[in-house]
Amino acid sequence: MTEAMHLVLIFEDDQAIQNVLRMLFEANGFRVVIADTAARGENDARLHRPDIVVVDLGLPDRDGLNVITAIRAWSPVPIIVLTARTAEAQRLAAFENGADDYVMKPFSAPELLARVRAIVRRHVRGELPMGVLELGDVSIDLGRRVARRRDGREVRLTPLEHRILETLARHGDRIVTHAALIKEVWGPHRNDSRALRVYIGSLRRKLEVDPSRPQHILTELGVGYRLVIDTGAEAGG
Amino acid sequence: MNLEFRANAARNTASPVTALLPALVALLRRSWRTILQLATDSPEPHPAWYWPDYLRALAITGLTTAIAFPLSPYFGLVNIVMLYLLVTTIGALRLGRGPSAVLATTNMLAFDFFFVPPLYSFDVEDTKYLFTLGVMLVVALIITNLMVGIRRHREIADAREQRTAVLYAMSRELAVATDAQAMAAAAVRHICAVFHSTAVVLIADARGSLSPMSPDESVGKEAQSPLPAFDLELAQQVVARGERCINDAIYLPLQGSRRVKGVIVVRPQPLAGALPAEQLNLLDAFAAQLALSLQRARLAEAAEAAKISAERALLRNTLLASISHDLRTPLSAIAGAGSLIAQPEYALNADRRTTLGHLIERKARDMSQLLTNVLELMQMEFGSGTLRTDWHAIDDLVALALRTNEARLAQWRTLVNLPTDLPLILVEATLIVQILSNLLENAAKYTPPGTTITVSAAVREKNILLVVADDGPGLPTGDPERLFEKFQRGRSESNIVGVGLGLAICRAAARLHGGDIHAMDNAGGGARFEITLPMERNAPNDLPDGA
Repeated sequence: MTEAMHLVLIFEDDQAIQNVLRMLFEANGFRVVIADTAARGENDARLHRPDIVVVDLGLPDRDGLNVITAIRAWSPVPIIVLTARTAEAQRLAAFENGADDYVMKPFSAPELLARVRAIVRRHVRGELPMGVLELGDVSIDLGRRVARRRDGREVRLTPLEHRILETLARHGDRIVTHAALIKEVWGPHRNDSRALRVYIGSLRRKLEVDPSRPQHILTELGVGYRLVIDTGAEAGG
Repeated sequence: MNLEFRANAARNTASPVTALLPALVALLRRSWRTILQLATDSPEPHPAWYWPDYLRALAITGLTTAIAFPLSPYFGLVNIVMLYLLVTTIGALRLGRGPSAVLATTNMLAFDFFFVPPLYSFDVEDTKYLFTLGVMLVVALIITNLMVGIRRHREIADAREQRTAVLYAMSRELAVATDAQAMAAAAVRHICAVFHSTAVVLIADARGSLSPMSPDESVGKEAQSPLPAFDLELAQQVVARGERCINDAIYLPLQGSRRVKGVIVVRPQPLAGALPAEQLNLLDAFAAQLALSLQRARLAEAAEAAKISAERALLRNTLLASISHDLRTPLSAIAGAGSLIAQPEYALNADRRTTLGHLIERKARDMSQLLTNVLELMQMEFGSGTLRTDWHAIDDLVALALRTNEARLAQWRTLVNLPTDLPLILVEATLIVQILSNLLENAAKYTPPGTTITVSAAVREKNILLVVADDGPGLPTGDPERLFEKFQRGRSESNIVGVGLGLAICRAAARLHGGDIHAMDNAGGGARFEITLPMERNAPNDLPDGA
């Protein structure tokens, strides 16, 4: 497996969590570098060129948000944030600073591993080509703007619904913030999340098997939406 | 008795009739004095010497004489006397005390001059006429006195009634006012209206320094009289001494039970002159009434503050007690499981290690959940109370709550029943998800596995109704409202973690949104929780497609 080569850099100051994370990643074929301060971590990042960075936002010397900004300034390496459940504003700020995903503390080990794997795989594979998107029962040809069910029936999507889906798909499994989504779909001068909610609802009704329990177009509370394309690999998370 | 007699020589005679005269004169003199005295300090609307009324008295005498004179040949003197007495009585009803007395006297003199022989002279021919004149004057004066007295009483009663009415009007407004500001505004409004003056209320703070009560914002600007100028130093002295002080304005202390609560400064209109004593008394009554109300407001405030602080102390104590219990229990499980795994000589097989690992994770998650609940409740109870609202789709929030509890609800059947045309709601999403999540979690705690849990929503008038219902064993007996109190548990199993904060959080969160939550028995058995959230208008349901 090429995954054995992957290096994960972890910003974490708590010894116990360091141990847990080290065991988790080493047991699953990653190489691990742990930094207990932001300064040391940024140094390690330049030195070791990690394939993925895991940042705990509560660092002793500097705000974890600054770490994200600092790394983003010179590297596109995927960054996963460990964040407390109550800090919704902080979570959104992390995305605005360039984080790729987040895992809620207290985290579950399998979930964190699944997220890291997915993001590394995607990063290695590169951004999705504008091809055919398979969402469970429905396949959508993003280029030709046609969606069909497996039985051949056409699913009619409006131009705006297409554009939303396309934007989500372009970001792969990563979260797209509300602001980014609105900006890409409606342009820079709109700041109303209402229309977005309505269109997401109607997209779900057209594409999801059970719209009340969406499996593909997921809401990330207070942050944005995520399109889960490869359900088989991630459902266990 | 055919003595030639002159009125001014009466005291020199020795006749039995004339013996009565000194007493008569004394009586007259005393009556006159009282009349004059009463007339000068009478509280009647007119000043003591109000000339038009005296002229009117003279005019009435003249007119009466002019009418009586041509009639005298046919009438007889007795009836003329009666006519004069009648006029005196009627005059006393209208005129003040002084003019009435003058009227009585001039009537007597006119009668003497024009009708008593010798005519056109004040001389009296027959002694019996002297007696008639005397009696006429005394009767007239007595009647005058009585009439004026009656009038005065009526006026006092009127004034008192009016005073009671204005005081009542103010006290009624003070009674419904809830804070010092509204009370001061009401008092100022009434005082300005009743005394035709401008007024300001100065409230003393704990250290006794005065500050003017800012005018009531709710009253329109045009309805407010401008604040009168006042001398703060003088006001401070009034507070220190507790006595009223009058210079160009009137400074009245607002006397509380222990100290002076403030000062009310009343400045009469420039042209009105000084207020008479009775008005000052009325003003005192106003001030006393206001002081009493301010005292009441302050007591109510203090009682409210004490109640809140007691409630907070109770909440804090119960919170600490429950948290320490509910954190220690899973902690001891975690510590125990960890120490078991950590001992190599126990040689636990892989299955057992896995079981212990799961136990540790589950207990840790319980603790985390508890902490989240406590923090959120603290935030809602002690925080700023402002919501970070945004527009959200209800099905989105329901889906999130279900996803959060997916693992917990694996053995329960969950149904979602949402109409597709639900409007968006303006809420803080985390709180609504928290409400739904707590309700789902509760359902998992208090119903056996396999129970069906239904989440549904509907529009009810101006509200969104969210329902989480199950077909389990139903609510515990007793008042369902008690479930929403902090640290209530439906049943007393101690192995269920959560301190009974869940429903308290639901209620706090729903109320923060202007809604509420209630528990009831489900029609088909089981428990049912209904959340109402006010719906914002203009929520778009279907937007026209296109950017």
